[in-house]
Amino acid sequence: MPENISEHIPEKRIGGCTLGGAIAVTSFITDAVTVVHAPKGCAHQVFSMLHALVEEASLPLLLPLISSDMSDREVIFGGEEALSLALDKAAAKNPALIITVSSCVTETIGDDSEKVCRAHPAAEKILSLPTAGFLGGRAEDGENTALLALSNLAETRPPVPKTAAVIGEKNLETEVEENYTEVVRLLSRLGISVTLRFCRNIQAAEIEKLGEASFFIIRDERVFPAGAAIAKRFGRPYVAEFPRGLSGCVTFLRDAGRCARISDEEIERAVQDEEAYQKQMLEPFEEMRGCPVFLGAQLMEGTFDAAREAMERLGIRESPDGTPLQLPFYLPVGVSGMMKMLYLWRRRIRG
Amino acid sequence: MSCTENPLSPCAMTGACAVLSGFKGLAVVVHGSSGCYYYPKALLKTPLYSTFLLESEIVLGTVDRLKEVVSGLEKAGKPVAVVNTCVPALTGEDLSKAFAPATSSSGAAASGAVFVDAPGYIGDAASGAAAAYKALDIRLNPEIRGVNIDGVLPLDLFARGNLHEAERLLALMQIPSAVTFASDTYAHLKAGAAPFTVSVNPSWDAGVGTSLGSFLFPELKKTAEALEKRFPDAVFDVFFEELSRADEQIFYYADKYLRKYAPPRAAVASGRGYCGFADKMLRRYFGSDAALKLPREEITDYTVISEKLQEYKPDLLLGSSFEAAAVRKTPCAFVGITHPDRSRISMSSSAVSGIEGGISFMERCINALIDVKKGM
Repeated sequence: MPENISEHIPEKRIGGCTLGGAIAVTSFITDAVTVVHAPKGCAHQVFSMLHALVEEASLPLLLPLISSDMSDREVIFGGEEALSLALDKAAAKNPALIITVSSCVTETIGDDSEKVCRAHPAAEKILSLPTAGFLGGRAEDGENTALLALSNLAETRPPVPKTAAVIGEKNLETEVEENYTEVVRLLSRLGISVTLRFCRNIQAAEIEKLGEASFFIIRDERVFPAGAAIAKRFGRPYVAEFPRGLSGCVTFLRDAGRCARISDEEIERAVQDEEAYQKQMLEPFEEMRGCPVFLGAQLMEGTFDAAREAMERLGIRESPDGTPLQLPFYLPVGVSGMMKMLYLWRRRIRG
Repeated sequence: MSCTENPLSPCAMTGACAVLSGFKGLAVVVHGSSGCYYYPKALLKTPLYSTFLLESEIVLGTVDRLKEVVSGLEKAGKPVAVVNTCVPALTGEDLSKAFAPATSSSGAAASGAVFVDAPGYIGDAASGAAAAYKALDIRLNPEIRGVNIDGVLPLDLFARGNLHEAERLLALMQIPSAVTFASDTYAHLKAGAAPFTVSVNPSWDAGVGTSLGSFLFPELKKTAEALEKRFPDAVFDVFFEELSRADEQIFYYADKYLRKYAPPRAAVASGRGYCGFADKMLRRYFGSDAALKLPREEITDYTVISEKLQEYKPDLLLGSSFEAAAVRKTPCAFVGITHPDRSRISMSSSAVSGIEGGISFMERCINALIDVKKGM
């Protein structure tokens, strides 16, 4: 957290920059190249962060981020020529798609990135995102901009029954694969399969599958603006977020089941199986029953509710004199997310 | 004009933050957006403040916001350093209004605040580090008996270990350590630096004082001789004895390796200082050919580096996790000497510099090579 936290910094100030958010989407289209119209330090920041996450998740290497390397010269004389050169370099790799993102520097000096992209020989495969760095908003605005623009590459098709497309996974979180696995686990109880992760390790041509999913699963409220707009455009229902904690799994099953037009009987059977599964998964934490605990600050909205629900199931008491416990800075997804939190709690209680 | 693919060097703002936040007691404020702030904050793991600028403040002027954050810190009795980022630098505001009424020619405001203009477009981390050192306006104090330790920056994986080792060696020689650049207290820095300096990693030197050389293993003898001239009362017997023992020890294990295997074909991707160090070590102890050197000061394009590595086909790679990923499909031993090293969790303070740093470096090289040979 920032050092001057005591200043009570409003959330709008600490939302990051659009560049990181947009690139966190575009970099996961495996046959696309992203051009970052910015000083190269901006491209390095994002590349370094993505590289760390890709390494951790043992994913294939990221495709190039090409920086237009804005220096003193471009700042004084304009950066459009630099962008054009970067597009040449991108086009020479013959990618399926070239995506450009603009920075606060290009916005400030007034480069017309859109015009440069339109005039480029590879214009047909260039998608220009007017992100404008922090001048265009927060990281999540960059993600929404990228998701919406990329969704325009898909056409509406007849829906394939019992299929879902996931929209806006948090490619920058370390637990992204674990969270996705939890969603797939729940969907499998209803016989639903995920046909597209929009956008995580997909090819540009796969974006077409957006148009044939029978419903969408939006990662969370962060990408809700893009997710809801995409659902509206394709005329499909959606589940608004990944499952929050334990009861969130049941809600998720019911919502997904309804979206996929699965019978109430089938949904209830899946719910019963899930409840039995949760009971079994909570057994290793029974030793915490009756323990008094004190919950620390909530760093992400919703974590108190998820934590208190687990406490109630396990008979853990909340008390000002109890063992101080730290709430996660992320919202635990499903049973596996709750178990990670409970393992940390158990370690603390065991002392 | 160039276009870099996956550039590997942080920007000037990050370099400036690395220097300034190394001096405890100095409150470092990034005058920019949270997007700019998060990277140095995550990378350096040092305390950093920020103005967390909004678009509206760019339109209406950022002075009031800067003043708000700076005065809050100054009221708490903290000396402040401000690192300016791209957009407020571009708009050309007179930010000195955020401090006391007048600003001195050195860039230090009359309030005592340090101001560093380090927008990303002026260059990489080294440019920012140089700008920060310039703004700190460091004075030499000829009365100080001791040696400054240079090249200690959190952008170096071995900064803390190198510092400990340098302090140990100076203590062995009975020479006091003076100011450490950049890992000291701000009050100590302001009291002045000693006239003489040794470096633990020349790639990150502040360049303050007369350099007596580096503490990187191949230079140790020469540096100790230079110290001997300046500090005739110091004690060097124990140091030279330890250095000689270390040299023998490394030869012993390198010989053992060479009885079974050919000398490694090495590539080094790091700052010039570590590139030269690694090359000299491998040539001395393995009799290797000259290593492929990829100094960060010259090459930061990841694609170019990857191509060079794939063409050269090293069996020992010294660099960062970026380079390690480029040779993942070939049997190549990897030793992380450049940030970032994601091949392992590292919490302890290992050194590359000094006697222990030299031994530890060769130990890691030999172990990594043997692991690959044994197919581990």
